[in-house]
Amino acid sequence: MDISFALTGKGYVILASDTTAARSIVKMKVDEDKIKVLSPHLLMAYSGEPGDTVQFAEYIERNIRLYQIRNTYALRPPSAASWIRRTLADSLRSRKPYAVNLLIGGYDTSTHQPHLYWVDYLGTMSEVPFAAHGYGAYFALSLLDREDGLMSGSSYHDPEAPLEEGLKTLRRCLDEVAKRLVVTPEKYKVKVVDKDGVREIEI
Amino acid sequence: MNSFLTRYSSTTPEADIRKAKELYGEDEDFSEVMWGSTGGFGNLASGVPMFKLPSVQDPSSFLRMHTDDHADPSCRIKIKHGTTTLAFRFQGGVIVAVDSRATAGSYVASGTVKKVIEINPYLLGTMAGGAADCQYWETYLGIQCRLHELRNRERISVAAASKYLSNLVYSYKGMGLSMGTMICGWDKTGPAIFYVDSDGTRLKGDLFSVGSGSTFAYGVLDQGYRWDLTDEEAQELGRRSIYAAGHRDAFSGNTVNLYHVKQDGWKFIGNYDVSELHYNGPGDVPGATGGGYGYDIRVAGRTSTNAPEGEAGEGQA
Amino acid sequence: MARRYDSRTTIFSPEGRLYQIEYAMEAISHAGSVLGVLSKDGVVLAAEKKVTGKLLDMSGSKEGGYGGSGEKIFLLNSNVVAGVAGITADANSLVNYARQAAQRHLYMYNEDIPVELLAQRLCDLKQGYTQYGGLRPFGVSLLYAGYDPHYQFQLYHSDPSGNYSGWKATCIGANNGTATSLLKQEYKEDISVEDAIELVLRTMSKTMDSTTLGSEKLEFATLTLDANKQPKAKIYKPAEIDALLQKHGLAKKDEDTDMASA
Repeated sequence: MDISFALTGKGYVILASDTTAARSIVKMKVDEDKIKVLSPHLLMAYSGEPGDTVQFAEYIERNIRLYQIRNTYALRPPSAASWIRRTLADSLRSRKPYAVNLLIGGYDTSTHQPHLYWVDYLGTMSEVPFAAHGYGAYFALSLLDREDGLMSGSSYHDPEAPLEEGLKTLRRCLDEVAKRLVVTPEKYKVKVVDKDGVREIEI
Repeated sequence: MNSFLTRYSSTTPEADIRKAKELYGEDEDFSEVMWGSTGGFGNLASGVPMFKLPSVQDPSSFLRMHTDDHADPSCRIKIKHGTTTLAFRFQGGVIVAVDSRATAGSYVASGTVKKVIEINPYLLGTMAGGAADCQYWETYLGIQCRLHELRNRERISVAAASKYLSNLVYSYKGMGLSMGTMICGWDKTGPAIFYVDSDGTRLKGDLFSVGSGSTFAYGVLDQGYRWDLTDEEAQELGRRSIYAAGHRDAFSGNTVNLYHVKQDGWKFIGNYDVSELHYNGPGDVPGATGGGYGYDIRVAGRTSTNAPEGEAGEGQA
Repeated sequence: MARRYDSRTTIFSPEGRLYQIEYAMEAISHAGSVLGVLSKDGVVLAAEKKVTGKLLDMSGSKEGGYGGSGEKIFLLNSNVVAGVAGITADANSLVNYARQAAQRHLYMYNEDIPVELLAQRLCDLKQGYTQYGGLRPFGVSLLYAGYDPHYQFQLYHSDPSGNYSGWKATCIGANNGTATSLLKQEYKEDISVEDAIELVLRTMSKTMDSTTLGSEKLEFATLTLDANKQPKAKIYKPAEIDALLQKHGLAKKDEDTDMASA
């Protein structure tokens, strides 16, 4: 069962996704990267129906790249997210829909804003400060909703948090899942996008 | 007129029965009604080519019981669900090992199935799921790999070959294909294994096992696996893992087929009977540690009984 | 001889020319001129109307009309205004195509179409007509004045062959040679939109056949940013054009204005 998280902060978006590829009860792989780098400032975490996920993600990846080659500049995060959502929504009414859930995180270099979009396989999209897919959502969202400062010295989600603090907040989510969820992923891949572009972070 | 034709025709069911009568004589009671009857005559008479049918009361309803209507109602026949296949990458190349049992539900349809498909001298594909699907599409993949070679003057990479297959099966997604395969080989990047299944999943990895017995194989494989295994150790590990699955999984077994892929292509190492492995081991082959693999064989003569000194064991004081 | 290579646009002449394209360009160089100037904080377009007459009913364009003041300047999308030179009927068809292309982009990407991309869309269409058999190319050149977040303010020109290019200041239509050489002399880097307006009007008054300017001969538009940093296109109404000319001392002095000022 795929689990993915994302959260925004001061000038960045963090995306985290577990790295297991399972078939029935068996883990086939424990180091699968399920976050695609779509452009210099755009990331996409994907989960859902096996087969569909990679096919859809690669289709998106190639088309976003094509746009960049044709126009020299990349699509900005809001436009890219709109196009991805549209593609998914069109697919939903086709003979064979892609059953894929997405988290799209990007940094808009022309407005200096981080953007995070939550998209499900039905084509629902909403721009959010933090998001999750899979069973992780049941534990993490309430945690992130909590306002800052109620607990002494501990911070939850803060749109102005620096990266260090954002990563600590993410850690909180992963720890909560590890504590309460019956089957817990052992490893996560974490990627960050900010003004400097995309990079992977060990957590 | 019609009955006149059928009497002298040699291809009709009636003709088969006629021939049967000729062979067995009139007193053997073969009548027209018996053809395709619920009596389950697999072969009416020797010398007449017929389909081999399971020797049960009603073969067709027997088969229907074991077809996969849940997965796809329009796709009636799903033979060979039970299987164990494995492949792993190590310092010395790739080991591919599989069992040879074909099942249709609880019926063992064959014990001598080749579940490793030799795509070309550098590529092997394993077979789990629908035998026909795997055989057909992996043969087709072999054709495409050869065409790639002719067009590009170099061998196709394992990554590209597996991607071709995964895109192909993905285009048939939801239409009843059933495959779980590992594409194994050696290319410019060295040894490589890709897991590809009919969902469209494609994973690169060091170690995979596929099929109903895969959990049992993993149990042995994961514990014995190291990158720096010697060739002999690796072959023994592959053999031992399939044996374990053949022993524990009712739908796997009969024999083990073992392959080793190295820089200069794959090599068939051998075929090993699972019962033989159980009782006597693989015999004098490289890597064999000697003796049967079976637990009861391995521990013969040893006991957990912890009787104090001087007392008899077996719980009877 | 040339006739053999005239009838089909897709046929090269032995000298390697496509006559129909050249004729289309020629048609444009007789059309009412369109002038555009790019500045740091806006783009300015002006167009000369050739067809005028006392009996022509202009009541539709008096109020500015829908998305344009009449024949020469059109709003293609909220961030792009275009001036056309050439066959008006062809231009209308292209304008309609451009508006649809812009809406398609909005539908797919939820953003205003980037200016260059819109020019490309039209050029792809125009290029097609230089290649497919039995069809006549569009007898239209366009100037696109636009804004997008990638390159801010931009000015593009496209011709019947499907070529396009970006400009700081340029002119198409009749007397475009004179106009561009004037612009070349007068244009300064870092020109403000106010100065650009004046430059456009002055150049226009010098190149147009008539000595004095008036709203019946001129169309005018600017593209700037509003208070929210969103592009805002303003296509001037006839009264506004006259007021603008008045302000820059370029208005003609006929009885009407004399009486009004008296």
